[in-house]
Amino acid sequence: MNTLTTFLLLAPFLGAVAAYLLGRRRTQWAFWTAEIVGATLFVATLLIFFGYERPIDIPMQWFRFGDFAVPFGLYIDKLSLVMLLIATGLGFLDIHFAHDYMAEDPHQPRYYAKVLFFIGGMILLVSAKELVPLFVGWEFMGLASYLLISFWHQKKDPADAGVSAFLFTRFGDIFLFAAIGALYYVAGSLDMVQLNAMAASGALDKDFIFVVSVFIFVAAIGKSGQFPLFPWLMRAMEGPTTVSALIHGATMVNSGIYIVARLFDFYAAADALIVVASVGALSAFIGATSALVQREMKKVLAYSTMSHLSIAFVGLGAGSLAAGMTHLVNHAVFKALLFLSAGAVMLAAHHVKDLWRLGGLGRKLTGLALVMGMGVLSLAGIPPFSGFHSKDAVIAQALNNPQTAGILALMVLVAGLLSMAYGGRLWALIFAGEPRDKELYREVKPVSFLWILLPLAIMAVATLLMGFFQESIAEAVSGMGLTIPHVPGLLPFMLVTIAILAWLVWFYYVKRLDLTEKIAAQPLMQVIHKVLFNGYFIEYLILWFSKNFVVQSLARSVNWSDRKLVDGAVNGTVPFSRKVSALLGRTTTRLSGENAGAMALGLLLLLAALMAGGAA
Amino acid sequence: MSALIFIFGPILLAAIVGWLGRREGHWVRFVALGLFALLFLYSWGLLEAVPAEGYLALGEFLKVPAFGFTLILQVDTLSAIMLMLTATLLILVALSSWTIEKPGPYFALLILFAGPIFGVFMTTNLLWFFIFWELTLVPMFFLVGIWGAERRVYAAVKFFLYTHFASMLILLAFFLIYTQTGVFDMALVKESMLATPALIWWLLFLGFAVKMPIFPFHTWLPDAHVQAPAPISVLLAGVLLKMGAYAMIRMAVLMLPETAREFAWVILTLGLITLFYAGFMALYETHLKKMVAYSSISHMGLVTVAIATVSYGGLSAALFEMIGHALIISPLFLIAGFLHHKTGSWQMEDLGGLMQKAPWISAIFVLAGLAALGLPGTVGFVGELTVLIAAVKSWGLWLIVIALGSMIGAAYIIWTFRRVIYGEMSPAVRKGDFRMNKAEFAALVIFAVLIVWFGLFPSELFDVINQAFGSLAAAGGAA
Repeated sequence: MNTLTTFLLLAPFLGAVAAYLLGRRRTQWAFWTAEIVGATLFVATLLIFFGYERPIDIPMQWFRFGDFAVPFGLYIDKLSLVMLLIATGLGFLDIHFAHDYMAEDPHQPRYYAKVLFFIGGMILLVSAKELVPLFVGWEFMGLASYLLISFWHQKKDPADAGVSAFLFTRFGDIFLFAAIGALYYVAGSLDMVQLNAMAASGALDKDFIFVVSVFIFVAAIGKSGQFPLFPWLMRAMEGPTTVSALIHGATMVNSGIYIVARLFDFYAAADALIVVASVGALSAFIGATSALVQREMKKVLAYSTMSHLSIAFVGLGAGSLAAGMTHLVNHAVFKALLFLSAGAVMLAAHHVKDLWRLGGLGRKLTGLALVMGMGVLSLAGIPPFSGFHSKDAVIAQALNNPQTAGILALMVLVAGLLSMAYGGRLWALIFAGEPRDKELYREVKPVSFLWILLPLAIMAVATLLMGFFQESIAEAVSGMGLTIPHVPGLLPFMLVTIAILAWLVWFYYVKRLDLTEKIAAQPLMQVIHKVLFNGYFIEYLILWFSKNFVVQSLARSVNWSDRKLVDGAVNGTVPFSRKVSALLGRTTTRLSGENAGAMALGLLLLLAALMAGGAA
Repeated sequence: MSALIFIFGPILLAAIVGWLGRREGHWVRFVALGLFALLFLYSWGLLEAVPAEGYLALGEFLKVPAFGFTLILQVDTLSAIMLMLTATLLILVALSSWTIEKPGPYFALLILFAGPIFGVFMTTNLLWFFIFWELTLVPMFFLVGIWGAERRVYAAVKFFLYTHFASMLILLAFFLIYTQTGVFDMALVKESMLATPALIWWLLFLGFAVKMPIFPFHTWLPDAHVQAPAPISVLLAGVLLKMGAYAMIRMAVLMLPETAREFAWVILTLGLITLFYAGFMALYETHLKKMVAYSSISHMGLVTVAIATVSYGGLSAALFEMIGHALIISPLFLIAGFLHHKTGSWQMEDLGGLMQKAPWISAIFVLAGLAALGLPGTVGFVGELTVLIAAVKSWGLWLIVIALGSMIGAAYIIWTFRRVIYGEMSPAVRKGDFRMNKAEFAALVIFAVLIVWFGLFPSELFDVINQAFGSLAAAGGAA
């Protein structure tokens, strides 16, 4: 087991180096290295999974400084294993998919190296025993996402998107960093299992736990794209679509939820879960409503990621580890499927992302329409797809828990239902109706079966089959079954609403698209549209604040004080010292060369004296 | 005798090669490199030889019974580490100055610098310490004043006057020590009773604060850095500032531990101000090299915070961060200078898209920048983490504000990447020819390798660093 674990942790990083170096020799080799490494990672995870008896616990120490020791232990239990399966399994399919998607890019060695590094970061994060190795993996992923989002760094938009991704997530990260410092001092331990136990037994001060929990949650907000640190998630769509699938499905955004799940007892001990639930419900609502009006298909998916992660957060916040984590697992699979399907559409249709230029592609890309349709059904929560069970469970839990029962449950219910609307709209605008851009439609070319459709089909089947194994998934991630509290009338209500929404989508986006445009042209609708389209202007507010307050006011006044006050005081003495030096200047004006000569002579004399003294 | 040669040998050698190589003197480069390699081996030998506790005696010279003028040479682990760092940086500076104009005099001055700097770290006699301390300024003054950029004379004079003023305070402190105890030896001063420890501490603290530099005595540094040629910036940041920090640890903390604990809050306050103040300065800066200079000051603020803990762990963290800072900031300075040399501009908006033109240089810049913002896997992270843990332990929970410093760091570094490395190519970059001399490139690669190596395996450094402050282990933390 330990050998496998070591392999799992080292292979992606060594593989990244190998992929780059081999790829420099021949571009094709980069892909094959990544493919082989990705496959072996998945196999290794499966081997650990099937041979699992008890948690793998490897205590290690990174280094000692002074009288402190910094630990770097590994701990893999069922929860970690499920996350590992997602990261390596979806990661492998993602690499496989990239064979065609990135085929024309000249920088493939760089691409595959970064992707493997990314997966390695996630593996490290979920296998960490203490917060330090977790933070290392956490930051590795931050770096990898930065580098991959601005993969096409020569263009302005991807370069800007990378900046936004790094800084938004970094803002969260420093809170985790601070929490590490605080926990080391107060709790004396960074071991997450131990922290849970300490919090549950009441060994730590409750207020302290609450503050630390909120700090860690801020980091989770950053990584998982929750309110208000979500704008980077939408900007990140500038990267290659395979990268979006990796970030949104397999790795990065899951880490925020994972850390809350990992420290679940810690959160529960100080009633910090209500914070998680509140932020989650608000983000779910913002994400779902904004997804309704996006023009770019990747942005629809990005907002839907935000919304569904929030649903998972609400599940945790409502006190059900099983519901929240099961939804995360389900989401990872269908979101990777949806993103890669979108990538396949782009590949077929000359990288057009604009939904108004697509349409009617179902006739040419039937297979693709089918698998993406399955993804949408799971997203929308149609039984028996996996998305249905977990979403239903979260909403029921939220309604059932008195702390979240009111407005929070309502928001998450709306968000859950709206996923039918935006998911259906997305699918309908791509595949149904008449082609809106005739020229583009003529040029649409079929996609390869082996490289494109096969991985998609695997995920589509998975999202369907997982619907029948929800109990086992819940058991694995939380140790408990997926108990859905019975809320009278909820299930019929949801099914009926979903049906109505499906009909509305069909009517407005397939049958009478002209009517939709007319409605959207109303002044009131335009205002609403603008607010939703821009994600409630949160990004503008944050940028405005950092630009005007942090840079223009704070940094600028520091700069002013440095020039005028601190340095000014020094330069203020110049007139005085000029006078002094003018006085002295009469006697000491000499050439510097002469001075240097005199100094050298003096040194020689000194040395002679020293030798004499040393000999004595 | 043998130890003396490593201090006065370079000074003599500098005079000889300076004279012989005054015309062009390309060969002087090899002499310098050879000498620095020798110094490196010597300091490595010292590091292996120093006992776990206390000093390794290297000899006493110039014994004048009536006066404490004996040149005592002895090193402990702390000084041996500093010597090792200095020798490493000298080699890398020599490599990265390979294509400088007028190499003869330039390398002669570098050799001249090596002597007194070794003296500073090898002697424990305060008076001799002071002499060597001052002597390091001379070659620095000429190196900035002759090979510098447009406003080099202003910068050189400002640098000289500023640090000279600081030196006066230090000298005053040394004389006070002598009049009160009758000895000039650091080890003996620690044992004896001082009449006015507070006054002496303040004089020493202010004197060294200028060198480190700590707010509000930092304004000489950006000027000196901007005007200095890039390799000399490395020397300034990597060796001269470290000399200040070394002296701060050695004298203001280890020599006067009681007083240091009493005034630790002063060190802490100024350290925190430096950390954030310089961070904001860097955020507002559009001048590439000034940005790097302010980021350097900000990191020294972190070192200062670590020193303020006056504890075993804190000082170990401080020393690690000092070494890390030298490794991180040097390639940034070198690349900033290189870009100015090739494009003629310091302004970030004139650059952009460098990754397309010079991918390897850009990659090293990115790596060093990421280390500067404290990314795990690099020395920067280990430095920040250890300082955070030690500071919180000594001063309480509110010290988690240090984490905010790394956010400011991330902001200015990532924005610099955006403006310099990524994005569309600017006309200046498009025109530029970014081929780099092999020796200069090799220096950058060595820096990059060290950043990652010590970032992944900090134990390699901490094994020796922990020894350096072993004496504090029992003494415990701050008040």
